[in-house]
Amino acid sequence: MEILNSKEMIYSPTENREEKLSITGRVTFLSMVAGSVLALTNFISNSALAEDVIKIGTPLALTGGLADEGKKQQIAYDMWLRRVNAAGGINVGGKKMKVKLVAYDYQTDGKRAGQLTEKLITSDKVHFLAAPFGSGHTKITAGVAERHGVPIVASTASSLSVYNQGFKNIFGTLAPNTGMTEAMMKFFKKKLPGTQKVAVLGRDDVFPRAMAKSLSKGARNRGFDVVYDELYAVGTLDHASSLSKIKSEKPDWIYLTGYTQDLILLRKQMSDLGVTAPIVTMVTGPAYKEFVDGLGKLADGVTSSSWWHHATDYKSDDVFGSTKAFYTQFVKEQGHDPDYVHASAAAALIVLQKGIEKAGTLNRAKVRDAIASLDIVTFFGPIKFSPNGMNQVRDLPIIQVQKGKVSVLHPADIKNAEMQKM
Amino acid sequence: MELQILANGIVLGALYACIAVGFSLVWGVLNVINMLHGSFIILGGYITFFAWARLGIHPIAMIPVAGMILYGLGYMVQRGVINKVVTQPVLITLTLTFGLDMILYNFMNVVFTATPQRVTLELGSFDIGGIFMPWDRIVSMLLAFALTGLLYWVMRTSRVGRAIVAVRMDRDAAALMGIRVDQIYAITFGIGAFMAGAAGAVFAVVFPVTTNLSGLYIGKAFVVCVIGGLGSVPGALVGGIVLGVIESFAGHWLGPQHAITVGFVLMLILLITRPSGLLGKKGYE
Repeated sequence: MEILNSKEMIYSPTENREEKLSITGRVTFLSMVAGSVLALTNFISNSALAEDVIKIGTPLALTGGLADEGKKQQIAYDMWLRRVNAAGGINVGGKKMKVKLVAYDYQTDGKRAGQLTEKLITSDKVHFLAAPFGSGHTKITAGVAERHGVPIVASTASSLSVYNQGFKNIFGTLAPNTGMTEAMMKFFKKKLPGTQKVAVLGRDDVFPRAMAKSLSKGARNRGFDVVYDELYAVGTLDHASSLSKIKSEKPDWIYLTGYTQDLILLRKQMSDLGVTAPIVTMVTGPAYKEFVDGLGKLADGVTSSSWWHHATDYKSDDVFGSTKAFYTQFVKEQGHDPDYVHASAAAALIVLQKGIEKAGTLNRAKVRDAIASLDIVTFFGPIKFSPNGMNQVRDLPIIQVQKGKVSVLHPADIKNAEMQKM
Repeated sequence: MELQILANGIVLGALYACIAVGFSLVWGVLNVINMLHGSFIILGGYITFFAWARLGIHPIAMIPVAGMILYGLGYMVQRGVINKVVTQPVLITLTLTFGLDMILYNFMNVVFTATPQRVTLELGSFDIGGIFMPWDRIVSMLLAFALTGLLYWVMRTSRVGRAIVAVRMDRDAAALMGIRVDQIYAITFGIGAFMAGAAGAVFAVVFPVTTNLSGLYIGKAFVVCVIGGLGSVPGALVGGIVLGVIESFAGHWLGPQHAITVGFVLMLILLITRPSGLLGKKGYE
């Protein structure tokens, strides 16, 4: 996969050449001539090739705050791409077509993501799109895709607010985040029936806010006593006053949401201020390796939910064949375990592939309809879309950090440890 | 409960003071708004983190080391780059440091990645009558006091300090008195960077080390400087503690999502009613 700056041409041979030559003015001029000639030849050969290549466009956050997440998507897309092209490409109505990914770095800048999506559609003429990381930026790119009628697969958007805008072309592999909170409340009530007082503190940002609100609302409906229910602003460097207040309420369950850096800070301040509870949940902290690494012993006992865990074992009819095969290849290439971002990103492109194969054409409207009617099992798990485009609820894993390792507590068929109190 | 909130506010304020001391010095003396300051703190944090992770050096021992490394970097940046435009209007130097910050920020993103890392060393906390005081924050409070005191002493008694003050008062007159103005500028900027590096070393224990926080640090430094007042060394300390206590109580009474807003509102009120800040001198605003 190639990563391009907005100024550069789609095809790379000219780029490197231009960079090296542009040292002096004269050379720059020569390189411009050479560049135009090469661009022209590329253009001619591309027009000839265009019919045989399926282009998937994606803005990725490869620099800036979300760079790590963007890179995870990049790794997974690349794994899928190599597998597909090794098998000769995607079968479009009996003809195998190779796939090309056109990716731009949008530098974790939402506005730029929108502009680049526009560029991918109008100037790079991609056939389909894959959304960037997170609900917020997915919402922006999905708006652009909808305007142009381009199907877009989203691998890391789980907030309902992305899907309830009446868009017809967005399909997300993650289940709605309410599914996570419901499963969790049921599970904890069963394991620790004395759980009554719940304290909720969430980051005031699309996904973490949705999770916090979904839990506090669900908890009230289920008869829990919600003793603290607040949001903290993006950019909060200190949680001492919230945590002091939570401590004074003596809750049985502390439920915190945010991104990894917030959760590390929260967990550390909890320990500094002596704040604890039988159940401490951080969403989605333990789903990320860096959460456990950044906290060391303090991570132990923290529970969370995730959309995927490599302990699951699905046999599938996709380029990977099974969860185990995906996991093995990933560990071999990257040297560490994949998390849900990796898996979901690969699954999103599988959805696109299955949709194209089912439609037997690259016609966007037909592919869109084909994706909407998919009912498949992938290495990531079953995928079937609700009318709003979200993958339908399924049993999502509940996890806990135990002795520095992430264990699965639920559902029963993939569970590998018993829940421990904090 | 209220006492705990007050204690939280004071130690938080000390962290803010740590962030702002060097920033305030550079702004007050050079009239340069150093947008690199946040990234300097993060760089100090990374130096400390890697010294701890690879060589097992305690972060507290890294305070002077990280400070000196950053001093060297700051000195060179001022000497080689900023001095070329230092007499230009403040917008020029602001744009320059903003650009330099983008380079440093993205350099760190590429080399260290944005993944949060932390020195997983729990210094623990102590408890007086139910009030919890975390040791790492106490250390940063001591550091803030020590740095402010040191700076105050340097500015008052040493030749370099007097020269810095002289340059601030009248650049041309100072030059005529034989002060090498470029040199003094570079030293001042270096001292500002030293403060950032030292703060970064302590913060490696308190906060996750990640480039994502650089913007937050610089934002806090601005607010603290406006509240405390420019050109006054103790101003950053007072401004930091005032902001910390106010945010702490605002978080307690109004909810944590409003804590930051209250800090900014205070800043606005001060800008309107007392532009020189709580301890600032007239003519420095």
